[in-house]
Amino acid sequence: MRRTRILIADALPLFRAGVRNLLRRESDLEVLEANDAIEAERVLTTGFAEIALIDLELPPAGGLELVRRVRERSTTHIIVWTLEPTREAVLDSITAGAHGFLHKGISAAGLVRSLRGTVNGEAPLSRDMAGLMIDAIHALEARSTARERAAVLSGREKQVLACVARGARNREIAEQLTISEFTVKRHMQNILQKLELPSRRAAASFYLAAYREEGLEEGVSA
Amino acid sequence: MIERRAPLVVAVCSVPLLGEALEGALDGLAECKVIAAGQPDIAGLLRSLQPDAIVVDDEGEAEAAATYSRFARIPVLYVPPSGRRLRVLENGRWEELADYDASPEAIRNLVAGGLYGRRAAQ
Repeated sequence: MRRTRILIADALPLFRAGVRNLLRRESDLEVLEANDAIEAERVLTTGFAEIALIDLELPPAGGLELVRRVRERSTTHIIVWTLEPTREAVLDSITAGAHGFLHKGISAAGLVRSLRGTVNGEAPLSRDMAGLMIDAIHALEARSTARERAAVLSGREKQVLACVARGARNREIAEQLTISEFTVKRHMQNILQKLELPSRRAAASFYLAAYREEGLEEGVSA
Repeated sequence: MIERRAPLVVAVCSVPLLGEALEGALDGLAECKVIAAGQPDIAGLLRSLQPDAIVVDDEGEAEAAATYSRFARIPVLYVPPSGRRLRVLENGRWEELADYDASPEAIRNLVAGGLYGRRAAQ
């Protein structure tokens, strides 16, 4: 019987040892190891492994960098995993080209089941990871919608809104943008009217939802 | 004291794969019993098992192990899942081991040292 080769790419020797000891008991699975992205890339691009477990924090530049680099050159089914998953990490991994995402706290039986499922064409994504993925897609959708709505604002209104999102008062905004406080108030009224928002606080939340990832200055240059 | 052929090391693990790694690391040196962290009354379980050493990967359970160790006088090793420095319980206080990475070999050596040092003292 031909054994399925699993690459475990992880800088932490304990995780490599854990997977190695676990899969030693499984006659249909065989383990290869890499402790950084350079070693892992060599295996991934030669097609030597059918499945790869890539640590999200794999040195030197992180697991996602490796996934992006090899996605066009590798037939290996890549699973990204981490101890501290976030919705952004799950979505970024899948977008980068990973076939699945797992929590490193997975049970031994769960990991074996996921690996065998991958061999059979399944995408390994545990229930909690699927929840994070759905959250991430919703957040992405909300951001996209918010940015579409923000397109009705003028450049100056976006600047004012960026200041409001940082918690600045009208006087501070006026000083910063070298305009009168009265003009700031007028911009603020226009912003609320155009975006159909009830309050300054709602406007600040709206701005953060639209531009949080790029930092508060993004909307100013938009 | 329970008479055993091999010393018993209890590994209290929040990350099951670390339990797998510890079983492999201690193979031939000690009997390793892995128990899942987060269960109620881990301290009671430790009192029943009467281990000769404890390895733990969870900060909360490390305190339960430290409490048990104070009267049983056994070595306790804390292995952070993130792979940062190992910590060992010395005279009731956690000491970080700057010279040891969290590798299976380092853990095996530290546990062996703890077991033999303890036996020499008995």
